Amino acid sequence: MSGIDMLTRLGAKDEDEHRQRPLDFRLITRLMQSTRRYVAARNWLIVVVILRSIQLPGLTWVLTLVITGPVAAGDIAGVIWGAVAFALLAASTQVVMHFRQRLALQLGEAVVHDLRNELFAHLQTMPMSFFHRTKVGRIISRMISDIEDVRVGVQEVLYVSLVQFGQMGMAAACMIWYDWQLFLIVLALAPVFWLLNRHFQGVLSERLRAMRESFSRITATLAESVLGIRVTQSYVRQDENARMFAELVADHSRYNSSVLQAHGLFIPLLEFNSQLFISVLLLVGGWKALDLGSADGVGNLISFLFMANLFFAPISVLGNQYSQALTAMAGAERLFALLDAAPEWTDPPDAVPAPPLTGRVEFEHVTFGYSPAVPVLSEVSFVAEPGQTVALVGHTGSGKTSIINLLAKFYLPQSGRILLDGFDLHQLTGESIHRQMGLVLQQNFLFQGTVADNIRFAKPQATDAEIFDVCHRLDCLDLFVALPQGLQTPVGERGAQLSLGQRQMVCFARALLADPRLLILDEATSSIDSRTEHRLQQALRVLIRGRTSFVVAHRLSTIRQADLVLVLDHGRIVERGTHTELLRHRGVYAHLYERFVQTGG
Amino acid sequence: MTASPPPDEPASPTSSQLLWRLCSLAWRFRGLAGLVLALNVTLVVLNLGSLSFTGLGIDVLRETLVSGATAAQWPGGVQPPTDWSPRAHLVVVAAIVLACSALSAVTKYVTALVSALLSQRMLVQLRAEIYDKLQRLSFRFFDRHDSSGIIGRVAADAQAVRSFIDGVVLKVLTVVLSLAVYMGYMLALHVPLTLACLCTSPLLWIGAVWFSRSVRPLYLRSSELSDRMISALAENVQGIQVVKGFAREPEEIARFAEANRRIKDQKYEIFRRLSTYQPMMGFLTQVNQLILIGYGGYLVIRGELPLGAGMFVFANLMSEFAGQVGQIVNIANTIQSSLTAAERVFEVLDAPLELTDAADAVPLPRAKGHIRFEHVTFGYHPGQPVLHDVTLDIAPGERIGFVGETGAGKTTLLGLVSRFYDPNAGRVLIDGVDVRQYRLNDLRRNIGLVFQESFLFSNTVAANIAFGRPNASLDDITQAAQLSAAHEFIAELPAGYDNLIGEHGSNLSGGQRQRLAIARALLLDPPILMLDDATAAVDPETEHEIRTAIERAMAGRTTLIVSSRVSTLRRTDRICVLKQGRIVELGTHDELIEQRGEYFRLARLQTVEDVLSDDVAPSETTR
Repeated sequence: MSGIDMLTRLGAKDEDEHRQRPLDFRLITRLMQSTRRYVAARNWLIVVVILRSIQLPGLTWVLTLVITGPVAAGDIAGVIWGAVAFALLAASTQVVMHFRQRLALQLGEAVVHDLRNELFAHLQTMPMSFFHRTKVGRIISRMISDIEDVRVGVQEVLYVSLVQFGQMGMAAACMIWYDWQLFLIVLALAPVFWLLNRHFQGVLSERLRAMRESFSRITATLAESVLGIRVTQSYVRQDENARMFAELVADHSRYNSSVLQAHGLFIPLLEFNSQLFISVLLLVGGWKALDLGSADGVGNLISFLFMANLFFAPISVLGNQYSQALTAMAGAERLFALLDAAPEWTDPPDAVPAPPLTGRVEFEHVTFGYSPAVPVLSEVSFVAEPGQTVALVGHTGSGKTSIINLLAKFYLPQSGRILLDGFDLHQLTGESIHRQMGLVLQQNFLFQGTVADNIRFAKPQATDAEIFDVCHRLDCLDLFVALPQGLQTPVGERGAQLSLGQRQMVCFARALLADPRLLILDEATSSIDSRTEHRLQQALRVLIRGRTSFVVAHRLSTIRQADLVLVLDHGRIVERGTHTELLRHRGVYAHLYERFVQTGG
Repeated sequence: MTASPPPDEPASPTSSQLLWRLCSLAWRFRGLAGLVLALNVTLVVLNLGSLSFTGLGIDVLRETLVSGATAAQWPGGVQPPTDWSPRAHLVVVAAIVLACSALSAVTKYVTALVSALLSQRMLVQLRAEIYDKLQRLSFRFFDRHDSSGIIGRVAADAQAVRSFIDGVVLKVLTVVLSLAVYMGYMLALHVPLTLACLCTSPLLWIGAVWFSRSVRPLYLRSSELSDRMISALAENVQGIQVVKGFAREPEEIARFAEANRRIKDQKYEIFRRLSTYQPMMGFLTQVNQLILIGYGGYLVIRGELPLGAGMFVFANLMSEFAGQVGQIVNIANTIQSSLTAAERVFEVLDAPLELTDAADAVPLPRAKGHIRFEHVTFGYHPGQPVLHDVTLDIAPGERIGFVGETGAGKTTLLGLVSRFYDPNAGRVLIDGVDVRQYRLNDLRRNIGLVFQESFLFSNTVAANIAFGRPNASLDDITQAAQLSAAHEFIAELPAGYDNLIGEHGSNLSGGQRQRLAIARALLLDPPILMLDDATAAVDPETEHEIRTAIERAMAGRTTLIVSSRVSTLRRTDRICVLKQGRIVELGTHDELIEQRGEYFRLARLQTVEDVLSDDVAPSETTR
């Protein structure tokens, strides 16, 4: 299961998702809006950031001032005052740093926290058809990686960039102040940096993409090999597979190397550029100082050397931030796309909560398909009176489950109406219907937690006594009490700690605790031992008593008890009646029953 | 030759054992690694060169312009003739700085290339080695570990182990050597100033260690909390029908919000510490600069230190130094994650191959197909046998059906014939010889297996059929497809036999996948055919088509067929009913129905769908 998830997550074909996306003003505005709730923190952060972009060059400035001034002039008192000034400035820088870090980190986390809650709440409003279509892995990757990208965008990109730009600006101002001619040399080099950066970002992103693709080929192959290991070993394919895998790995390594090589060329070029600048500076600045013939020129040169570092360092940081911004854009885009996905349908605005129901159900010419072009049910009509048990019988794919899905308002019919106590189902709020409905599905889905937690799922406020009572009525208390910690036994992931029979009992108890007017039950098909089977049959009888029940029936014994049997074929009801009536009718059902008796006894 | 008991989980190795093994792994790549190291040290020296000559340039200028400034000290006393003009001196210095930078850039590029070569060579070797081992491991290993974990071992863990070699071993050596070079240079300039400026460095180190210790549990907890949040989400999505069915959305939202809030609280605590620690460390490095300003300034004024080659160089080296110390913290973190990954990688590499050929293994060109189980007892976990003392004789060419409840041991029984596992007691014989005495690959080539879930690989249709014999001709492939009633639908695919199959055969129907799986088995023309509930996951209409394929496939082969459907079982020569790992009934369909025992009961438990599907075939012909 998880392996398959991994495969779908990493499979190359599945990844129509781009890792980066151009800057988009719409998305940026929206991200800024998500910080609205923390407006005070955000504004303080901007103040702090501006302060910091002044402080950082300030520190270097004081350092050079002391070196070129008092130190060069031999003024010891000046050196001491300079040191004091440096100490004070340094301390204040770190205080500001504390707030800049803390505020930014917290802001990012808070925004992410809100987005997660928003996303989760939004998911809960989506109709079943959405979950039918969407892979779990997709949703999870929205919640993990995309939100993480957005976090970096909110936490870092803006503020780091501001600090860096500020630092560059301050450094530039200082340099112009000292010697505007020398600064022109710096300026002349800037476009070279920019172009280098642009070129390599382009090359790198291209190669990185190729590398990621080749890596997803590796993981996809790997996942297949692991999941298909039984096939591989039984067909003695190990050597052939190893050969193919080695090729894939070597191929990936080629892409990997090409990325590393691009990096290996880019970084030295960048550094060489700033080194080149220093030697030019030394030559030109020195030349000028000698022309001038005074010590001031040397001081200016030293200041320049320090400031130039401040000026150049942000370039690579900004390049990095830029690429993170693009990643954040892609994440934000996907995230907002999911948040904005409108449910295909919602309860109409004038929907009313269902009154306490008696449980009369009527299908009127209902036609339905999961995709409109392929109808699964056509023109289905029937009536179930309050308290009746309706058994749905037919092949896999004949439409039994669809009837249940429509009745539970998980889907809406394309045409026709479903009436509950005479009310159109569409006009009743889904939530109010579900409160009066009990559901037992074939997968017997349990949530992590204890047995009691799972039973209480249907009615969170239920007391322990109520739970005991429900188990008692189903005559299954001994099953649960025998567990290591009784009703407080954890069921494990998806209920793995319980046996099949126990899991089903929990689902029965869950449904009985809800004491629903409408019961929907998809009978389990897996064969369990006869004693448990028998007890489940007994419990089922208790469960359906006194409420309108729809059972997707797999066992003859269940069908026999039904007040109404609907025999479905290709989305139509081909026969209806009680077991006895249908036998007398000598149609499909009777034929089926005969065969059953023949084979089974 | 008695079966060895399944090995228990090996005790996890200690950190020092792991470190030792990782280091010896690194030793395998010592040639390239040594080169990378040498190049890195060269880089440090070149950087130092361009920095110190920049400083010298300043001194040359001061010498000329500032009265009373100390004379420029050329390294090693090698200096251009004094009768050269200061401008000429300046040009020489600038040229040297440029030369150093150029050399450094080239060296850096070469270093990058060599490092890439090293890391890729390691990665390729490691991945291939792990993968190769994985393919040969027995199923017990796959039973014990979940598939995504195993995938992670090859994909991510191999990467992490590699990063131990270049991220830890090489890095530590580089950092130590660079620090030594820097220290040596600074000490050569001025011993007391060096010591004064570096006096806070131990504090930096201690602070880093203390901090990473204090936050590690917080980070662990935070990733635990976020795992919990993710699993709440996954559970919600997977059980959404239940959630909606019981109108529990509000409670689920509250549950998620709670999990989410706990992450936030935990993160805030980490942020509080982080945003206190980092400025403090930052301040410590600034204290170094402060000392430099004060003490260094004093020394320059006293004429004991040149301004350029001394103070200017010192100021720049300090930040380099702080950077290197900071790296050590990152390295410490890498060690931790590498160790975890290494443990998982070595577990695979060290896992014993439980099933190996005996030294005197005999070849099995083509079996006659006589299978015999003799008092076979087997369990996946010691003390929990799944099969108890099973004895059964299957004649060549016989078709035998196996039926029983979930967990009765049907699939296990088939697995013992293919030797996916060895029995704990008793033996399985083919043509009168214990299967453990055959060459494993020969044995498996004699058996065609069709699983409940036909696992197809994302490759062409032809390649999937030829899975067990990659060099099969297209004629052979077509023939196998015809035999398994797959040829028609393959011919209708857009690219026929060259059509690509999506992941897990997602672009084919269940019945089509199953027929391809049967073709895959038939291509080998195996004397023994085993069908493990091959029709269970298939809708009834296509089951009919598969049944035709199965009928044809069984002709002339010993066939073992697991099924819960009476319709399938009825077509076998004998039916073997298993209950809790024992054979409880054995006979033909009619005999067993007559007996009114376990088989009779199971037949009654047939689901309506089973009967319906059985109905499809005859009704189509009679109508």
